[in-house]
Amino acid sequence: MQRGLHPFLTFLFASLIVLFTGGPVILSLIGSVVPDRILLDGSKGLFSEGLNFETYRYVFTGQLPDFYLAENANRAMISDAARQVPQSLLNSGVIAFSSMVLNLLIGAPAAYMFARYIFPGKKLTFMFLILSPLVPAVALVTPVYIMLQTLGLVGTQAGIILVHTAKALPFTVLILSVFFRKMPSEIFEAAVLDHCNRFQTFFRVALPLALPSIGATGLFAFMLSYSEYMFSMVLSGDAATRPVSVVMAALARNTDVSWSLLNTAIFIAIVPTLVLVIFVWRFVVEGLLSGAVKG
Amino acid sequence: MWSLKRFPALWLLPALLPVALMTIYPVAYALWTSLHSVMLLFPGEPFVGLDNYKRVVSSNYFQDALRNSLVFTLLAAPLVVVIGTLIALFLQRRFFGSQVVRSIVLLPWVLPGAISAVLWIWVFHPSFGVLNGLLRDLHLIDGSIPWLTSPRYALVSVVVAHVWTQIPFAVVLLMAALSGINSETLEAAAIDCRSALKRFRYIVFPEIKAMIVVLVVYNALTAFTSYDLVYAMTGGGPGTATTLLSFQIWRESFSMYDFGSGSAVAFIVVAISAVLIIAITRALPSDLFAEE
Repeated sequence: MQRGLHPFLTFLFASLIVLFTGGPVILSLIGSVVPDRILLDGSKGLFSEGLNFETYRYVFTGQLPDFYLAENANRAMISDAARQVPQSLLNSGVIAFSSMVLNLLIGAPAAYMFARYIFPGKKLTFMFLILSPLVPAVALVTPVYIMLQTLGLVGTQAGIILVHTAKALPFTVLILSVFFRKMPSEIFEAAVLDHCNRFQTFFRVALPLALPSIGATGLFAFMLSYSEYMFSMVLSGDAATRPVSVVMAALARNTDVSWSLLNTAIFIAIVPTLVLVIFVWRFVVEGLLSGAVKG
Repeated sequence: MWSLKRFPALWLLPALLPVALMTIYPVAYALWTSLHSVMLLFPGEPFVGLDNYKRVVSSNYFQDALRNSLVFTLLAAPLVVVIGTLIALFLQRRFFGSQVVRSIVLLPWVLPGAISAVLWIWVFHPSFGVLNGLLRDLHLIDGSIPWLTSPRYALVSVVVAHVWTQIPFAVVLLMAALSGINSETLEAAAIDCRSALKRFRYIVFPEIKAMIVVLVVYNALTAFTSYDLVYAMTGGGPGTATTLLSFQIWRESFSMYDFGSGSAVAFIVVAISAVLIIAITRALPSDLFAEE
């Protein structure tokens, strides 16, 4: 697989990928360090005015940016929601991490069963899992809210974690069972010959072999929860418990908010997540490319 | 594949129960609502049978919304999977800076949906947008193209933004599937078969087919049932150019307060998604659903 592509083509493809996937985000980084009046004024260059970190200072310390203190400034340009971003990141982290752990803990055994065993009721339960995410979330918001209210979970993180776990589970099981199925069956036959029972085969053979794939699936469950908006909005309580998707949506829908403040909030919100995701992804890629799952 | 005599409840129930909890009652509730006249402004919830469904299907938005939703899904889902596969195949090889590119590919993922919408509005903005600026600098256009407000380009523009948000997920899972392929198989194939296209067709593709099917199903479902990105970017306009069927669930329920009709749209969406999923699994048969 190493040969074939000309270095120039490699560079071209790599640039295209970077431009497409990273382009809009780079725009936002530029926007976060340049005040609006320069950004919207074609005659002023981005670099002639120098970088401006006042909006970052505002989010972390609450000290208002200079442009806001100017005589004719629009009072609505600054929103408190931007200051909730660091706390909301923490909330989202807790929710998404719990949802991911739950997904892997209860999804992996189920996926293993579906991938390697035949049992009564298999088709029925598998179809149920696949068909359950068909109903659009908007139609389920009201009944889920009513249900969680009777359980006393509205306004708590546990409620959101429960919904996100259930939302991601069908896909977690589906994806993991693809990975478990791809493993060579000789390994499992050998385990049985060595008198491993079902639990031992799963924990000692299947799980360690699937570790990178489980990492990739975990990432999926984490990001699904992290970016989910509708249930997070309906089920979260006051400002202190809101996840980042809700806070960012509030900022994004507020058309008065200064463009540079919005971009600052975007940037503060994505950097920790990006670092975390890259860290896990690198572990996944390294594990995969070094041949951990190769027969 | 081993056979068991009993249902392995200990292994499966922990996963099935939360899904059942979040599915059975809410879906039954929504189904009940779709058969009754549930309006916030009128007391009582009389049984109306299929009236809600009839009203929805004969409403003036239905045909446009259904067509838009289908076009949106048929464009977005295959695009995500094809572009995702190409990027995954490309990023599998090592080159100078491959680590950096592998990380940047994940960027669209870490942005909340509302933010992706804002970023793409700015890319497509008629006067300040980067896209028009770029096209102007290349002297491809003179004025500016109103990407999001012209009926011709609006739907394509939101498809691009939607595909962008879904790429990382496809790349991550396809790279994981790709590296599960036995390296000896690949080496043998490299010797026997000179054409990279043929190698992909006969060696690589069969190995990642199951994952591709999962991804097509997931993306078709996401494209057909989600609307927040599109709604945030265009509000369904201009006119009905980007009005999606899934968006009408929200509009009927929470804007018109006609929860009966909203749920009726939801179940029409369910029926069509079910057909889509069956069509996909038929068109791309894989051992994923086989009993063996």
